[in-house]
Amino acid sequence: MSEVPEQLKYTAEHEWLLPLDDGDYRMGITDHAQHELSDIVYVELPEVGDTVTLGDTMAVAESVKAASDIYAPLTGEIVAVNEKLEESPELVNESPYELGWMVVLRPAGELPALLDAATYRAQLG
Amino acid sequence: MALLRTPLHGRHIAAGATLVEFAGWEMPIQYTSIVKEHLAVRSAVGLFDVSHMGELFVTGPGAMDFLSYVTTWDMQRLAPGGCRYCHLLDEQGRIIDDTIVSRLEEEVFLLVPNAATTARVRDWLTHHLADFEAALTDRTTDLACLALQGPDAPALLAAELDLTVAPFKVVRHGDIIVSGTGYTGEPGCELFVPAHRAGEVWERLVAAGAVPVGLGARDTLRLEKGYLLSGQDFDGTQTTLETGYGWVVDWEHDFIGREALAAQRGGDYARLRGVQLDDRGVPRPGCRVLIDDEPVGPLTSGTLSPMLKRGIGLAYLTAGPETGVVVEMRGKLLRGRIVRLPFLKGGSS
Repeated sequence: MSEVPEQLKYTAEHEWLLPLDDGDYRMGITDHAQHELSDIVYVELPEVGDTVTLGDTMAVAESVKAASDIYAPLTGEIVAVNEKLEESPELVNESPYELGWMVVLRPAGELPALLDAATYRAQLG
Repeated sequence: MALLRTPLHGRHIAAGATLVEFAGWEMPIQYTSIVKEHLAVRSAVGLFDVSHMGELFVTGPGAMDFLSYVTTWDMQRLAPGGCRYCHLLDEQGRIIDDTIVSRLEEEVFLLVPNAATTARVRDWLTHHLADFEAALTDRTTDLACLALQGPDAPALLAAELDLTVAPFKVVRHGDIIVSGTGYTGEPGCELFVPAHRAGEVWERLVAAGAVPVGLGARDTLRLEKGYLLSGQDFDGTQTTLETGYGWVVDWEHDFIGREALAAQRGGDYARLRGVQLDDRGVPRPGCRVLIDDEPVGPLTSGTLSPMLKRGIGLAYLTAGPETGVVVEMRGKLLRGRIVRLPFLKGGSS
């Protein structure tokens, strides 16, 4: 059974968002997603300062088997990226909600509707 | 059409393996993690179900001459109890399949073709059999094949089956045939087991510490060693020389495709080369390779090497080792260079 922490928000694309004190959002992929991808060996991240639009491909997670697009969970600006993933992409598998975070986003305008833990858990079935 | 299943299918499901279609068979691609399974084979011992591979027996007084004629190797030079890796070619010298031939007895040979090519190889052999005093028997479905691979494989084999088999030797052990062969570059063996006993042997080896390994790691393991994947690194259009496997040819005998190979020998032709990335990224089959901004061909294989932690791949190139190349990945250009194979040096074979 995948772990779905209560305090996070989720998207239907198996991404999580953690609201930070300054209004930014830390973002990564869920335990379910890392398990499905398995063996992440490379993560291609955007650059700090990039602007992204909700639903666009923002990053790519590569497993031994395949490459998977990571979609922007909101429209805004990339204000930080997890540089540890360059050396240690396996952190996404080992610690999807903590050490394996991917980017910090600064929303521009309205936030899209996000799922709470219970709704996301229900979606996983 | 329903997918074929090996005698170990139920055990793979019980073990939680992810199953995929491969050459008409439903096979485990991974049990837990391709990387973990890969590292288990490099550091300890892994166990593969490769029962989808073909098992063709060629027997009779003309078996040796027949196999010498249809493969690149002269079987006079293969004594009973030995195994040899070689290619089957068409008249143009193009590879129909690569295979390991085991000589079990003076007049009994076992050929192990790839799953996707077993039917083609069987038909090809049958077609050429008429001129020889030999018979062909396909035992693909009544024999399972288990590959026990890794530095700890010999000790485990000795402890569990009281058996030692040297590299490229073959022995019979009751109703099991054991050859000192594999596809990982590690010590170990392949066990040809009657289908009804496959489960028992599998469970025994797993209980003794062998880690079940799927086809995903089988592919990354073989690629680190520069071994060819049938249907991918050659697809019926390349010759043995183009694959860089000239050492599997014994020129001192007559065989199908010899004339074509001899004509190509010494000429200029693109040959399969190893490409290793210096930039980070995971090259995939089909990615374009460029030299001096010119596309020079696609990768036939590509992955991230779990041992080297670098992207590695194969491509047919005219340039030689140490030439700088660029591999195009989703529009990004990743720098790398041609390297001598194998990517991962050392090991037993």
